[in-house]
Amino acid sequence: MNPHDDNRDRPLTGALRRVAEDDDTAGASPAVRARLLNEVRSIARARRRTSSISLAAAALVMLGVGYMLWRAVGPSADGTPDTSTAGVRAEVTTPFFPLISTTTPLTSTHIVRIEVPRRALASFGLAAAEAAEELSSGTVLADVAIGDDGLARAVRFVRPSTPEEKQP
Amino acid sequence: MDDAALLAKARRGNEDAFSLLFERHQRQIYRYGAYMCGPHAADDVVQDTFLAVLRQTGRSDTPGGSVRSYLLGIARHIALKRLAAAHTPLEEPADEANDELASADPSPLETMTRSEMSGAVRRAVETLPAAYREAVVLCELQQLEYEEAAGLMQCPIGTVRSRLHRARRLLAAKLGSAL
Repeated sequence: MNPHDDNRDRPLTGALRRVAEDDDTAGASPAVRARLLNEVRSIARARRRTSSISLAAAALVMLGVGYMLWRAVGPSADGTPDTSTAGVRAEVTTPFFPLISTTTPLTSTHIVRIEVPRRALASFGLAAAEAAEELSSGTVLADVAIGDDGLARAVRFVRPSTPEEKQP
Repeated sequence: MDDAALLAKARRGNEDAFSLLFERHQRQIYRYGAYMCGPHAADDVVQDTFLAVLRQTGRSDTPGGSVRSYLLGIARHIALKRLAAAHTPLEEPADEANDELASADPSPLETMTRSEMSGAVRRAVETLPAAYREAVVLCELQQLEYEEAAGLMQCPIGTVRSRLHRARRLLAAKLGSAL
Protein backbone atom coordinates (compact mmCIF):
# COMPACT_ATOMS: atom_id res chain seq x y z
CA MET A 1 0.00 0.00 0.00
CA ASN A 2 1.38 3.33 -1.04
CA PRO A 3 1.46 5.65 1.99
CA HIS A 4 0.21 8.48 -0.19
CA ASP A 5 -3.09 6.76 -0.77
CA ASP A 6 -5.14 8.95 1.52
CA ASN A 7 -8.39 10.50 0.24
CA ARG A 8 -6.63 13.61 -1.05
CA ASP A 9 -4.10 11.68 -3.13
CA ARG A 10 -6.31 8.88 -4.33
CA PRO A 11 -7.22 10.50 -7.69
CA LEU A 12 -3.56 11.08 -8.48
CA THR A 13 -2.72 7.51 -7.52
CA GLY A 14 -5.55 6.28 -9.73
CA ALA A 15 -4.35 8.40 -12.64
CA LEU A 16 -0.80 7.07 -12.24
CA ARG A 17 -2.11 3.50 -12.07
CA ARG A 18 -3.96 4.00 -15.33
CA VAL A 19 -0.84 5.38 -16.96
CA ALA A 20 1.10 2.36 -15.72
CA GLU A 21 -1.56 0.06 -17.20
CA ASP A 22 -1.55 1.93 -20.51
CA ASP A 23 2.24 1.81 -20.62
CA ASP A 24 2.28 -1.90 -19.88
CA THR A 25 2.45 -2.96 -23.51
CA ALA A 26 5.09 -0.42 -24.50
CA GLY A 27 8.40 -2.05 -25.26
CA ALA A 28 11.50 -2.03 -27.38
CA SER A 29 11.21 -2.24 -31.14
CA PRO A 30 11.81 -5.54 -32.97
CA ALA A 31 15.03 -4.05 -34.37
CA VAL A 32 16.48 -3.87 -30.85
CA ARG A 33 15.61 -7.46 -30.20
CA ALA A 34 17.15 -8.51 -33.54
CA ARG A 35 20.32 -6.56 -32.83
CA LEU A 36 20.66 -8.16 -29.40
CA LEU A 37 20.01 -11.65 -30.76
CA ASN A 38 22.83 -11.06 -33.25
CA GLU A 39 25.06 -10.22 -30.32
CA VAL A 40 24.06 -13.45 -28.56
CA ARG A 41 24.82 -15.41 -31.74
CA SER A 42 28.22 -13.77 -32.06
CA ILE A 43 28.95 -14.73 -28.44
CA ALA A 44 28.00 -18.33 -29.25
CA ARG A 45 30.23 -18.27 -32.35
CA ALA A 46 33.13 -16.83 -30.38
CA ARG A 47 32.72 -19.51 -27.73
CA ARG A 48 32.68 -22.23 -30.36
CA ARG A 49 35.81 -20.76 -31.95
CA THR A 50 37.52 -20.62 -28.58
CA SER A 51 36.57 -24.23 -27.90
CA SER A 52 37.89 -25.32 -31.29
CA ILE A 53 41.16 -23.47 -30.73
CA SER A 54 41.51 -25.02 -27.29
CA LEU A 55 40.88 -28.48 -28.69
CA ALA A 56 43.35 -27.91 -31.51
CA ALA A 57 45.95 -26.65 -29.03
CA ALA A 58 45.39 -29.69 -26.82
CA ALA A 59 45.70 -31.97 -29.83
CA LEU A 60 48.95 -30.28 -30.86
CA VAL A 61 50.36 -30.67 -27.37
CA MET A 62 49.40 -34.33 -27.35
CA LEU A 63 50.95 -34.82 -30.78
CA GLY A 64 54.10 -33.10 -29.61
CA VAL A 65 54.34 -35.24 -26.49
CA GLY A 66 53.61 -38.34 -28.54
CA TYR A 67 56.32 -37.43 -31.03
CA MET A 68 58.85 -36.84 -28.26
CA LEU A 69 57.99 -40.18 -26.66
CA TRP A 70 58.23 -41.88 -30.03
CA ARG A 71 61.63 -40.29 -30.57
CA ALA A 72 62.68 -41.48 -27.12
CA VAL A 73 61.55 -45.09 -27.34
CA GLY A 74 60.94 -45.61 -31.05
CA PRO A 75 63.26 -47.08 -33.69
CA SER A 76 66.65 -45.41 -34.05
CA ALA A 77 67.96 -44.05 -37.32
CA ASP A 78 69.96 -47.19 -38.09
CA GLY A 79 66.85 -49.34 -37.99
CA THR A 80 67.63 -51.02 -34.72
CA PRO A 81 65.61 -50.20 -31.68
CA ASP A 82 67.07 -47.61 -29.37
CA THR A 83 66.52 -48.90 -25.89
CA SER A 84 67.45 -45.67 -24.16
CA THR A 85 64.38 -44.43 -22.34
CA ALA A 86 64.76 -40.68 -22.23
CA GLY A 87 61.38 -40.17 -20.65
CA VAL A 88 62.29 -42.40 -17.72
CA ARG A 89 66.05 -42.18 -17.41
CA ALA A 90 68.36 -40.58 -19.94
CA GLU A 91 71.09 -42.88 -21.20
CA VAL A 92 74.14 -42.66 -23.39
CA THR A 93 74.71 -45.51 -25.77
CA THR A 94 77.66 -46.44 -27.92
CA PRO A 95 77.15 -47.45 -31.54
CA PHE A 96 76.41 -51.13 -32.10
CA PHE A 97 79.60 -53.17 -32.52
CA PRO A 98 79.23 -56.23 -34.74
CA LEU A 99 79.97 -59.53 -33.00
CA ILE A 100 80.05 -61.77 -36.09
CA SER A 101 80.83 -61.11 -39.69
CA THR A 102 78.01 -62.08 -42.03
CA THR A 103 76.68 -61.00 -45.38
CA THR A 104 73.18 -62.17 -44.54
CA PRO A 105 71.04 -59.12 -44.10
CA LEU A 106 69.07 -58.86 -40.91
CA THR A 107 65.34 -58.80 -41.40
CA SER A 108 64.59 -58.20 -37.75
CA THR A 109 66.39 -58.20 -34.45
CA HIS A 110 65.55 -58.50 -30.82
CA ILE A 111 67.33 -56.48 -28.24
CA VAL A 112 68.24 -58.03 -24.94
CA ARG A 113 69.69 -55.93 -22.19
CA ILE A 114 72.29 -57.66 -20.06
CA GLU A 115 74.97 -56.81 -17.56
CA VAL A 116 78.53 -57.62 -18.60
CA PRO A 117 81.78 -57.22 -16.75
CA ARG A 118 83.05 -53.67 -17.12
CA ARG A 119 86.31 -54.99 -18.53
CA ALA A 120 84.35 -56.13 -21.61
CA LEU A 121 84.51 -52.46 -22.68
CA ALA A 122 88.20 -52.89 -23.29
CA SER A 123 87.51 -55.54 -25.95
CA PHE A 124 85.91 -52.81 -28.04
CA GLY A 125 88.53 -50.18 -27.36
CA LEU A 126 86.28 -48.26 -25.02
CA ALA A 127 88.26 -48.54 -21.85
CA ALA A 128 89.62 -45.01 -21.89
CA ALA A 129 86.39 -43.40 -22.90
CA GLU A 130 84.17 -45.26 -20.50
CA ALA A 131 85.41 -44.61 -17.00
CA ALA A 132 88.76 -46.32 -17.07
CA GLU A 133 89.11 -45.89 -13.35
CA GLU A 134 86.31 -48.36 -12.82
CA LEU A 135 87.60 -51.04 -15.16
CA SER A 136 88.81 -53.24 -12.40
CA SER A 137 85.43 -53.94 -10.90
CA GLY A 138 81.72 -53.83 -11.45
CA THR A 139 79.51 -54.33 -14.45
CA VAL A 140 78.10 -52.25 -17.26
CA LEU A 141 74.85 -52.50 -19.17
CA ALA A 142 74.89 -53.75 -22.72
CA ASP A 143 72.21 -54.14 -25.38
CA VAL A 144 72.72 -57.27 -27.42
CA ALA A 145 71.04 -57.47 -30.82
CA ILE A 146 69.94 -61.04 -31.56
CA GLY A 147 69.01 -62.03 -35.08
CA ASP A 148 66.18 -64.28 -36.25
CA ASP A 149 68.62 -67.17 -36.20
CA GLY A 150 69.16 -66.69 -32.48
CA LEU A 151 72.74 -65.54 -32.87
CA ALA A 152 74.05 -62.44 -31.14
CA ARG A 153 74.88 -60.06 -33.96
CA ALA A 154 75.91 -56.84 -32.28
CA VAL A 155 76.38 -55.20 -28.93
CA ARG A 156 76.36 -51.68 -27.60
CA PHE A 157 77.11 -50.34 -24.18
CA VAL A 158 74.80 -48.20 -22.13
CA ARG A 159 75.35 -45.86 -19.23
CA PRO A 160 73.16 -43.25 -17.55
CA SER A 161 73.81 -39.78 -18.87
CA THR A 162 75.40 -37.15 -16.64
CA PRO A 163 73.47 -33.93 -15.84
CA GLU A 164 75.69 -32.04 -18.31
CA GLU A 165 74.77 -34.50 -21.06
CA LYS A 166 71.08 -34.00 -20.35
CA GLN A 167 71.33 -30.32 -21.22
CA PRO A 168 69.91 -29.65 -24.68
CA MET B 1 13.99 -21.27 -14.97
CA ASP B 2 14.96 -18.34 -12.78
CA ASP B 3 16.41 -15.09 -14.07
CA ALA B 4 19.92 -15.75 -12.79
CA ALA B 5 20.13 -19.05 -14.67
CA LEU B 6 18.76 -17.39 -17.82
CA LEU B 7 21.32 -14.62 -17.50
CA ALA B 8 24.18 -17.09 -17.14
CA LYS B 9 23.01 -19.05 -20.19
CA ALA B 10 22.44 -15.90 -22.25
CA ARG B 11 26.00 -14.81 -21.54
CA ARG B 12 27.17 -18.15 -22.93
CA GLY B 13 25.33 -17.44 -26.19
CA ASN B 14 22.06 -19.29 -25.55
CA GLU B 15 19.43 -17.56 -27.71
CA ASP B 16 16.40 -19.09 -26.02
CA ALA B 17 17.58 -18.05 -22.58
CA PHE B 18 18.28 -14.54 -23.80
CA SER B 19 14.88 -14.25 -25.48
CA LEU B 20 13.11 -15.29 -22.30
CA LEU B 21 15.13 -12.91 -20.16
CA PHE B 22 14.56 -10.09 -22.65
CA GLU B 23 10.80 -10.69 -22.71
CA ARG B 24 10.62 -10.63 -18.93
CA HIS B 25 12.43 -7.35 -18.42
CA GLN B 26 12.64 -5.25 -21.55
CA ARG B 27 9.33 -3.42 -21.02
CA GLN B 28 10.29 -2.22 -17.59
CA ILE B 29 13.63 -0.97 -18.85
CA TYR B 30 11.97 0.59 -21.87
CA ARG B 31 9.51 2.53 -19.69
CA TYR B 32 12.27 3.67 -17.37
CA GLY B 33 14.33 4.83 -20.36
CA ALA B 34 11.36 6.55 -21.96
CA TYR B 35 10.47 8.53 -18.86
CA MET B 36 14.01 9.39 -17.86
CA CYS B 37 15.53 10.17 -21.28
CA GLY B 38 12.52 10.61 -23.54
CA PRO B 39 10.64 8.14 -25.74
CA HIS B 40 13.13 8.63 -28.59
CA ALA B 41 15.93 7.24 -26.38
CA ALA B 42 14.07 4.30 -24.85
CA ASP B 43 15.14 1.80 -27.52
CA ASP B 44 18.76 2.82 -27.06
CA VAL B 45 18.55 2.44 -23.29
CA VAL B 46 17.15 -1.10 -23.67
CA GLN B 47 19.75 -2.04 -26.26
CA ASP B 48 22.68 -0.59 -24.32
CA THR B 49 21.50 -2.21 -21.09
CA PHE B 50 21.30 -5.70 -22.54
CA LEU B 51 24.51 -5.27 -24.52
CA ALA B 52 26.31 -4.29 -21.32
CA VAL B 53 24.86 -7.33 -19.56
CA LEU B 54 25.88 -9.70 -22.35
CA ARG B 55 29.38 -8.29 -22.54
CA GLN B 56 30.01 -8.60 -18.81
CA THR B 57 30.97 -12.21 -19.38
CA GLY B 58 33.40 -12.20 -16.49
CA ARG B 59 30.59 -11.68 -14.02
CA SER B 60 28.67 -14.61 -12.65
CA ASP B 61 26.78 -12.70 -10.00
CA THR B 62 23.93 -10.22 -10.07
CA PRO B 63 24.97 -7.50 -7.64
CA GLY B 64 22.20 -6.17 -5.46
CA GLY B 65 20.14 -9.32 -5.49
CA SER B 66 17.51 -9.69 -8.21
CA VAL B 67 18.24 -9.67 -11.90
CA ARG B 68 15.53 -7.02 -12.29
CA SER B 69 17.39 -4.67 -9.94
CA TYR B 70 20.64 -5.48 -11.70
CA LEU B 71 19.19 -4.67 -15.13
CA LEU B 72 17.48 -1.52 -13.89
CA GLY B 73 20.73 -0.48 -12.23
CA ILE B 74 22.55 -0.72 -15.54
CA ALA B 75 19.70 1.08 -17.30
CA ARG B 76 19.91 3.83 -14.69
CA HIS B 77 23.64 4.18 -15.22
CA ILE B 78 23.07 4.55 -18.96
CA ALA B 79 20.22 7.01 -18.42
CA LEU B 80 22.30 9.15 -16.05
CA LYS B 81 25.07 9.36 -18.63
CA ARG B 82 22.57 10.52 -21.21
CA LEU B 83 21.09 13.06 -18.81
CA ALA B 84 24.53 14.38 -17.97
CA ALA B 85 25.34 14.69 -21.68
CA ALA B 86 22.11 16.66 -22.11
CA HIS B 87 23.07 18.91 -19.16
CA THR B 88 20.12 17.73 -17.06
CA PRO B 89 21.82 15.99 -14.15
CA LEU B 90 19.86 14.09 -11.55
CA GLU B 91 19.76 16.78 -8.89
CA GLU B 92 16.98 17.56 -6.50
CA PRO B 93 15.71 21.11 -7.09
CA ALA B 94 15.45 23.63 -4.27
CA ASP B 95 12.00 24.13 -2.68
CA GLU B 96 11.45 27.52 -4.31
CA ALA B 97 12.04 25.94 -7.69
CA ASN B 98 9.30 23.45 -6.85
CA ASP B 99 6.84 26.27 -6.38
CA GLU B 100 7.70 27.59 -9.82
CA LEU B 101 7.33 24.18 -11.36
CA ALA B 102 3.94 23.70 -9.73
CA SER B 103 2.56 26.97 -10.99
CA ALA B 104 2.04 25.73 -14.54
CA ASP B 105 -1.54 25.82 -15.80
CA PRO B 106 -3.42 22.72 -14.69
CA SER B 107 -4.97 20.44 -17.28
CA PRO B 108 -8.75 20.02 -17.17
CA LEU B 109 -8.68 16.26 -16.60
CA GLU B 110 -12.39 15.95 -16.00
CA THR B 111 -13.12 16.69 -19.65
CA MET B 112 -10.60 14.19 -21.04
CA THR B 113 -10.93 10.65 -22.28
CA ARG B 114 -8.80 8.01 -20.61
CA SER B 115 -6.14 8.14 -23.29
CA GLU B 116 -6.08 11.91 -23.19
CA MET B 117 -5.81 11.84 -19.42
CA SER B 118 -3.03 9.27 -19.53
CA GLY B 119 -1.25 11.47 -22.04
CA ALA B 120 -1.60 14.49 -19.76
CA VAL B 121 -0.33 12.56 -16.73
CA ARG B 122 2.55 11.19 -18.77
CA ARG B 123 3.52 14.65 -19.94
CA ALA B 124 3.28 15.95 -16.41
CA VAL B 125 5.57 13.18 -15.20
CA GLU B 126 8.01 13.92 -18.00
CA THR B 127 8.26 17.55 -16.96
CA LEU B 128 9.18 16.71 -13.36
CA PRO B 129 12.79 17.31 -12.31
CA ALA B 130 14.79 14.16 -13.04
CA ALA B 131 15.26 13.20 -9.38
CA TYR B 132 11.51 13.37 -8.70
CA ARG B 133 10.63 11.79 -12.01
CA GLU B 134 12.79 8.80 -11.18
CA ALA B 135 11.02 8.30 -7.86
CA VAL B 136 7.61 8.40 -9.57
CA VAL B 137 8.69 6.07 -12.37
CA LEU B 138 10.16 3.47 -10.03
CA CYS B 139 7.68 3.62 -7.16
CA GLU B 140 4.41 4.60 -8.86
CA LEU B 141 4.67 3.41 -12.44
CA GLN B 142 6.94 0.38 -11.95
CA GLN B 143 5.57 -0.43 -8.49
CA LEU B 144 8.93 -1.15 -6.92
CA GLU B 145 9.16 -1.38 -3.13
CA TYR B 146 10.78 1.66 -1.56
CA GLU B 147 13.70 -0.46 -0.42
CA GLU B 148 14.45 -1.69 -3.93
CA ALA B 149 14.00 1.82 -5.34
CA ALA B 150 16.36 3.20 -2.71
CA GLY B 151 18.93 0.58 -3.66
CA LEU B 152 18.67 1.56 -7.30
CA MET B 153 18.67 5.29 -6.62
CA GLN B 154 21.58 4.83 -4.22
CA CYS B 155 19.96 6.90 -1.50
CA PRO B 156 18.22 6.26 1.81
CA ILE B 157 14.58 5.18 1.83
CA GLY B 158 13.69 8.48 3.50
CA THR B 159 15.04 10.33 0.48
CA VAL B 160 12.91 8.19 -1.83
CA ARG B 161 9.84 9.01 0.25
CA SER B 162 10.54 12.73 0.31
CA ARG B 163 11.21 12.86 -3.45
CA LEU B 164 8.03 10.97 -4.09
CA HIS B 165 6.08 13.29 -1.83
CA ARG B 166 7.38 16.37 -3.61
CA ALA B 167 6.83 14.77 -7.00
CA ARG B 168 3.21 14.05 -6.17
CA ARG B 169 2.71 17.60 -4.96
CA LEU B 170 4.06 18.91 -8.23
CA LEU B 171 1.96 16.47 -10.25
CA ALA B 172 -1.19 17.40 -8.35
CA ALA B 173 -0.51 21.06 -9.02
CA LYS B 174 0.18 20.44 -12.70
CA LEU B 175 -2.85 18.25 -13.25
CA GLY B 176 -5.27 20.56 -11.52
CA SER B 177 -8.43 20.36 -9.52
CA ALA B 178 -9.71 17.21 -11.17
CA LEU B 179 -7.41 15.28 -8.90
